[in-house]
Parts: sequence; C-alpha cells; structure tokens
Amino acid sequence: MDLFLQLAATGLVVGSLYVLCALGWGLIYGTTLHFHVAHGAVFTLAAYFAYAGQKLLGLPLAVAVIGAIVAAAVSGMLIDLFIYQPLERRGAIRTTLFIASLGLLTLIENLLAIIFTPDPLRMDVGWLADAVQLGPVFLTRLHLVSMTTAILLFLALMVFLKHSRWGQAIRAVSSSPEMARTVGIDLRRVHLLTYAVGSAISAPAGILIAMDVGVEPYRGTTFVLLASVAVIMGGIGSIPGALLGALFLALLENLGVWKIPSEWQSTISFGVFLVFIVVRPRGFFGRKIQSAEI
Amino acid sequence: MRTILSAFFTFALLAGSSAATAQPGPIKIGAILPLTGSGASYGVWMKGGAEMAAEEINAAGGIAGRKLEVIYEDHAADASKAVNAMRRLVEVEKVPFSLTSYSAPTLAIQPIAVQNKVVIMNGGGQSDNLANKDYLYNNIPVVSNEVGVIADWLAKEKKLASAVLIVANDEAGRNAAKTFRERYGAAGGKVLAEEQVALDATDFRAQLAKVKARGGDLLFISSYGRNVAIIADQARELGITLPMAGTSWILVPEVMKSKGAEGILTTRLPFDPNSAFAKKFKDKYKTDAGFFAVQYYSATMIFAKAAQEAIKKSGGALNGEGVKNAIESIRAFDTISGKLVFQANHGAVMDIEVGTLKGGKVEVEKIIKAAP
Repeated sequence: MDLFLQLAATGLVVGSLYVLCALGWGLIYGTTLHFHVAHGAVFTLAAYFAYAGQKLLGLPLAVAVIGAIVAAAVSGMLIDLFIYQPLERRGAIRTTLFIASLGLLTLIENLLAIIFTPDPLRMDVGWLADAVQLGPVFLTRLHLVSMTTAILLFLALMVFLKHSRWGQAIRAVSSSPEMARTVGIDLRRVHLLTYAVGSAISAPAGILIAMDVGVEPYRGTTFVLLASVAVIMGGIGSIPGALLGALFLALLENLGVWKIPSEWQSTISFGVFLVFIVVRPRGFFGRKIQSAEI
Repeated sequence: MRTILSAFFTFALLAGSSAATAQPGPIKIGAILPLTGSGASYGVWMKGGAEMAAEEINAAGGIAGRKLEVIYEDHAADASKAVNAMRRLVEVEKVPFSLTSYSAPTLAIQPIAVQNKVVIMNGGGQSDNLANKDYLYNNIPVVSNEVGVIADWLAKEKKLASAVLIVANDEAGRNAAKTFRERYGAAGGKVLAEEQVALDATDFRAQLAKVKARGGDLLFISSYGRNVAIIADQARELGITLPMAGTSWILVPEVMKSKGAEGILTTRLPFDPNSAFAKKFKDKYKTDAGFFAVQYYSATMIFAKAAQEAIKKSGGALNGEGVKNAIESIRAFDTISGKLVFQANHGAVMDIEVGTLKGGKVEVEKIIKAAP
C-alpha cells in the first residue's frame, strides 16, 4: 500500500508537469488548429532562459523564473507571427504548418544543444530540493510547488477564459472561427494572444523539471508528444479534458510500474492511447477528432 | 553520368591514396569517447589522458620520427554513433588503431575492427563480453572481477544479507548486475528485486519506490556516469536509508560531490591522486584527474610502443595487423601505474580496492591483490 501511495504521489507530480504542458498545447491547438509541436521547443527554451538567468546573469531564482516565463510567452508569439501567420496568409494547409513546426522544433533543440551542450545542466534550487515526508510518501518541496502551480494555473486559465473579454474572444474563435470573424473578432490578434497565454502556461513545466532534474535540449519532444496524447484523450477543445488526460497518462505511467517492470512505462501509455483513439476518439469530453485535423 | 561520376571517384581515390603513400605524414589514430551525455565526465578524463600522452610522445620525437595525431570522436554512450565514428576513422582517416570506450559501443565496432584489421584498445568499458575478441585489447579488468570482489565483501564482511538492484538497461549495467547476482548469491546474499532504468533517464523515482517497497539491507546501483548521482539523490529523497553500493564506474566528480552518494560502498581501481601525472593533469585541465585519465594515457603509450615495434619489423609501413602482432609479442608494458600484462583473453588484471565514499574521497578499507 505504501508503494501504491508513493507511486500515486510521484504520478501526480509528473502529472502536474504534463498538465501544464497539455493545457498550453491544448489551448493553442483548440483555438488555432495548429498542430504546434514547436511548443516543445518553447517549453525547453523556458528552461534554458531560467537557467541562463540564474547561472549566467546571476539573477535571483524568482526573477529568473518570471523572466523566463515572459520570454517563453514572447517566443510563442514570435513563432506565430513570423512562421505560422505568413504561411497561413499564403494559404498553406495544416500539414505544411505541422512540417514547419516540426522543423522549428528540431532547429531550436539542436541550436540549444550546440550552445549549451546536450548535457543536462543543473540549477541551484536551495531548500526547495529538501525532502518532505507525508505519512508513507516522500516528496521534495519542489514537487509540492509543481502541484500547486498546476492547480493554480488551471484555475486561473478557467477564470480567464470564462470571465475576461480576451478569454471570451479565444473561446469564440475556438468554437467557430467563421462566426468569430463575422462578429468582428480579429483572428490574428486572438491567435497571438493564445500563443502568449499557452506558452506562458507551459513554461513553468519546463522550468520546474529543469529545477528538479536539470535542463536538457531534447526533453521538449517527449513532452509535446505526451501533451498531444493527453489533449486528444481528454477531448480536443476541452480545458478540463486536457487536465484529466494529462493526469490519467502520468498516473498510468507511474502506477503501471507497480505490477509491470518499469521499462514498459511508455509502452503502457501509448498502448492505452491507441485503444482510446480507436474506441473513444472524442476523448473524455471533447469534439471528435477529424482525420484531417493536423 | 554514371561513368563520369565513377571516373571522378576513382580519380579522387587515387589522388587520396597517392597522397597517403607519397609522404609519411603524421600517424593518425582514433579515440571514440563519451564526450557528451551522461558519461561526459569520463570523456574529459579519457581525452585529457590521450592528449597528454600524444603531446609527450611528440615532444620526444614522435613514433619512428612521425608525429602522432589523435582524432577524437563522440559516441555519447550510443553504439550506433560509435559505429559511424569507427567507419569514418577507418574509411576516411585510415587509422591503424583506435582508442575506444564503453561496453556497448566497443562491442558494436569490434566487427569493423576485425574486418579492416584495425586494433582497438578499450580502457573504460568493462562488460565480460569484451574479453576474447579479435583485434580488441582491454587495458582494464572486466567488471566481474570488481563486482565479484564487492559482492563478496558486502555479503561476508559487511553482513548485508539481502539486496535490491537498480540496473542501467545497457550492456555494461546488465552484465554487472548478472555477475552481482551470481557472486552475491554464492557468498550467501539474496537479491530481492531488480529494476532496470534507461541510462539517459533523469527521473528514477518510480523504480526506486518499487525497490524500496521490497526492503532489503542494501541498494546496489549497477549503473555509471553522472546519473548515479541523481539515482542516489532521489533514493535519499524517497526516504531510502539503506546503504548503497556500486563499482569504480561511479567515481565521477558529480557522484563524489553529491549529497545522496555520501557513504556509498564502492570498489576502486588503483589511482594515486598525488602522482606526478595527476598534478600535471590538474595544471593543464584545471580539474582533478581520475582513474580513466591514466587509463587512456597508458593506452596511448602502449600504442606508441607497439607501433614503434611494428615499424621496426616492417621496415617503415604501419598497419593494424602489425600493431596487433607487436602487442602480442610484447605482452607486458611498463605504464605509469605499474606493469600491465595482457592476458590470454586480451584483458588486464589489477589490484582492486574496496571502501567508502566520504567527503568526496574513497576511504579504502581493503585491497584485493590481482592474481598473478
């Protein structure tokens, strides 16, 4: 039982990072229908911004983290502004955008590897690394911060989308771009805003994992893949669905270890994903995915 | 078009080969090392050791009057990268000899070495499967010697009767774990659980939680490189208070400095941090030398000696076969860490020390002398 609790807790910690990545990616995909795999690069950039802020510029940790989140949001906007929007203006189909995104992901990851080496770089987190014991479960303070961040950002995103004017504009575009345009919403500006918000929400995941186990150039690919799986499992266009999908994946991966040797971790998650996409393609609660949607 | 191309290639090949035979340029050898990735710390030592040896050889007039040039390639612990590097060294650089490292990459390039008659010398990888391979010489003992020593010591002298294992899912990790099971079992110990982890992973908590639930007296880490520091840190984070143990693989700066690895029980291969070599290394590279720096220094020196002999025998030409024959006929080489005698299995034997990692240093408790 202790093992079950520990694995569940570890699953929730990993899950909170998947949640942040999936919320950002899902918001962007649900609104723009861009299969934005370069989101993985934004996630990784955030980690390197934080690392560079703390280690190279000598900023205090909190300042470095906030700076990195802002820089990540700007990076997301720049990608939309200089890559996707020009492509869309020229009438590129979604597959073209996806290929461009994939190219960008590879380019940024490799540039980071050239600049910072492919080796994991560790940040100083001081007392955040200390272990805390909750009954039979051991976590670090940083893990508690991860979970709290995920919950707070999820709630903040829900409030923003429901109650702010900009949030409502995003929802309008998400549910029907044509209708939104008809009522005078500027799609390009809403897309830019979505990229800023989506990138800012996922940035903490990259930074938190960097603080926990180190900054690496290629981690974003795995995360964006898992985020897209979580979003499709949860139901495209549904923010609570993305949350649920991400937690489900993380718990599955970690609890699976209980009875199955741990080298099967990713096999379990992608196996279940395949079952999902065949048996229940609309996910927990979302729109049915169309074959042409990427 | 095809004829033009093939004519062009023939010309290029001829031009290349005539250039190679016309003037005896430097003697080029390869060094396929972990320059990036989890094992990059070994790479710093290995490359530094080889570099220092090459500089000393060249300062003393080179090998039979020819300069020695080492071409460094990175395998990042990945066998397929090692194969690409080896192909490049063999086909483009036409080396007669290459230094190599790590078990899986070395096993992967050994067939290419045989095919092209290029001697490879491994000073780092320790899988038992590296023994008895044509054209491959190991100036390091295979891991079963070390694992055997520590398994005995843990079971009989430390009275740690049951163990759980964290095993790197690669040739070296699995091989060491297999030997550990055999020797620890033979010494009366019992292995309760084993979890495999990817060598390049950074989150080992699920696997550690699982072995923690099995109890036991000891956590044996059959992995290497800087990730051992993360495994040790995360084990302590999860409240695992068991003593931990490993082999000399774990003695990289990241592990020695890590809080979690303090007190880890380990083997060590003989290395004197106060030697003239270690001091020179530290002056040159601004970082402490380690065992593997000496290993690759020695391997390069062994090559120089063998190459000298081969050139003398052939009257000028140098190829892999000549180097191999020279190693076989010399057998015993004087190195800065004492006499190294290649065994019939193409490996070396060394004294093995056991002790505890304390404050960044190994406090040696016992030295097991190499069988003569």
